[in-house]
Amino acid sequence: MSALEVEDLVVRFPGDREPVQVVDGVSLRVDPGEVLALVGESGCGKSMTALSCLRLVPRPGRIHAGGIRVAGREILSLAVPEMRSIRGSEISMIFQEPMTSLNPVVAVGDQVVEAIRLHEPVSRAAARARTLEIFQKVGIPDPEDRLDAYPHQLSGGLKQRVMIAMALATVPRVLIADEPTTALDVTIQAQILELIRELRSEFDVGILLITHDLGVVNELADRVAVMYAGRFVEEGARVEVLSGGRHPYTQGLLRSIPGRVEPGERLAEIPGVVPAPDDWPPGCRFADRCERAVDVCSERSPDATSLGDGRRVWCHVVAEEEAAG
Amino acid sequence: MSANGEPVIRVEDLCTWFPIRAGLMRRTVGWVRAVDGVSLEVRAGKTLALVGESGCGKTTVGRSILRLVEPRSGRVTFGGRDLLELPPEELRPLRKDLQMVFQDPMASLNPRMRVRELVSEGMRSFGIGTGEAERTDRVAALLSRVQLDPDWMWRYPHEFSGGQRQRLGIARALAVEPRMIVLDEAVSALDVSIQAQILNLLSDLQEELGLAYLFITHDLGVVRHLSDEVAVMYVGQIVERGETAALFEDPRHPYTRALLEAVPSVDPRRRSGAAPVLGDVPSPADPPPGCRFHTRCPEVFERCSREEPAAFPAGSGEARCFLREPGAGS
Repeated sequence: MSALEVEDLVVRFPGDREPVQVVDGVSLRVDPGEVLALVGESGCGKSMTALSCLRLVPRPGRIHAGGIRVAGREILSLAVPEMRSIRGSEISMIFQEPMTSLNPVVAVGDQVVEAIRLHEPVSRAAARARTLEIFQKVGIPDPEDRLDAYPHQLSGGLKQRVMIAMALATVPRVLIADEPTTALDVTIQAQILELIRELRSEFDVGILLITHDLGVVNELADRVAVMYAGRFVEEGARVEVLSGGRHPYTQGLLRSIPGRVEPGERLAEIPGVVPAPDDWPPGCRFADRCERAVDVCSERSPDATSLGDGRRVWCHVVAEEEAAG
Repeated sequence: MSANGEPVIRVEDLCTWFPIRAGLMRRTVGWVRAVDGVSLEVRAGKTLALVGESGCGKTTVGRSILRLVEPRSGRVTFGGRDLLELPPEELRPLRKDLQMVFQDPMASLNPRMRVRELVSEGMRSFGIGTGEAERTDRVAALLSRVQLDPDWMWRYPHEFSGGQRQRLGIARALAVEPRMIVLDEAVSALDVSIQAQILNLLSDLQEELGLAYLFITHDLGVVRHLSDEVAVMYVGQIVERGETAALFEDPRHPYTRALLEAVPSVDPRRRSGAAPVLGDVPSPADPPPGCRFHTRCPEVFERCSREEPAAFPAGSGEARCFLREPGAGS
């Protein structure tokens, strides 16, 4: 059974004239112990997709249509109290900035104890023992002393470890990691990436990783989905997608990374800017920035084309090429 | 105008310390040694990248050079003068030659000024252009140079996207015809496709105008792509400096090596997964004795915690590590 399944998700915000669909028909699947990375530039809808999985889309936005199953159970039809009990136990989240999600006036150990006791009928002492154990597991030095530390006494890397400990304390089936290392320095980032790699197999948790950093994707992901303007444009195994990609947007994105071209060589530019959600063009949303666009691209949205290696690409030109063999 | 390769600015032994105050009388009880003995040169038409992790002092170096913060000691030779010795009225004209572009352009663009005013403000204060009509023409030319529509000069900064605002920041810096620009994390907040546009623009401008860049960043991918030389900072000091290709190929300081190994690989055939540096960066308010990296260094030996290493010649530049001391073996 998949840890997480999303089907035809549509997230809407009220607009001036008509509703704006910031996520427009996204489907995905994450298996236990697997990392699926959602990548894309600001405003592509990747964070909204992630928040939808916890039913935490900020108002006035709302999930308009679709299905979301956590460990096989449909969560969109659940009553609020039931949803609350799943959040933090079956599905947890870690954020970019741990400071905003830790309570500054409660010792970090107590915050994890509280999270455990919220979901399980265990004694304080038992919850504290488990917190200590998980602090050791996430590599917090002097874990016993750190139980009583306040967030401001910890460095950024340690705070992120506490967040991860809290997210995993209840042994969730799904972990949503939204830019988990973006605020960290590169040497600390390497430590946290290593930690997430270890924990995902140990806990057999399915991870939905949200990031704009293709280096982080390469280090952590098994599969990658590239999003543009609220939709998937390409999805497949890490090596296939990052080796080149078939969608012109994936290709442009990869060629614009400074580390991937020879020093001094010119970076590829994708002309123009990502359009705002209330200004998404009809047809393929990348068409007006795409070098390979043909007439049909601005008329009709492309369907998914499946490639031999299990990849799916949403592009008329690729569909044509595949059909021609 | 200096010929390409000639030093435009020379920074020697720069120290910028911030007081730690405590108690009722706000007495100084200690110092944060944000910058502690930094020397560097930036050459005409070339880019020196100053890299390091948060809190290493790289931004304070940039701000000290422009005297946006007051250094405690050192020399900053620019245009034949020591910027740190100059009284404010003599410093002002030199500021024309030395411009800065920040990470968040919105924070440095007055939201109530139209683009035309923003870009021409510096021209007016340094007497560039003779009349308003001429300045308007120059603003139009500058906007097209940074690939913005000249008609947008009547708009306000909030009407622009992040990448467009960074273009405005660059146009504003170029308006006074500087010789050098300090770019402080100038592309760090941008999405990768927009970042590529700005990086290409910066290298075009450098080639065209012979500008010297001091490029302050934490992003090593960007450094490798655009800089000619690199200086790596750690807890207030430069621990290694050298030519970019050589430094990336063969780092000579253990910290540089750790930093480069920690960068996530963007090559799908290779994941880095290297042994990460353990522990956290020490505080510049209480730097470790001896070599500042010895608390995290995989190659530490006894002398490192006792004595502070000098900058020894290494590779194409220098490294502040006893392993590079002449006669040290490796």
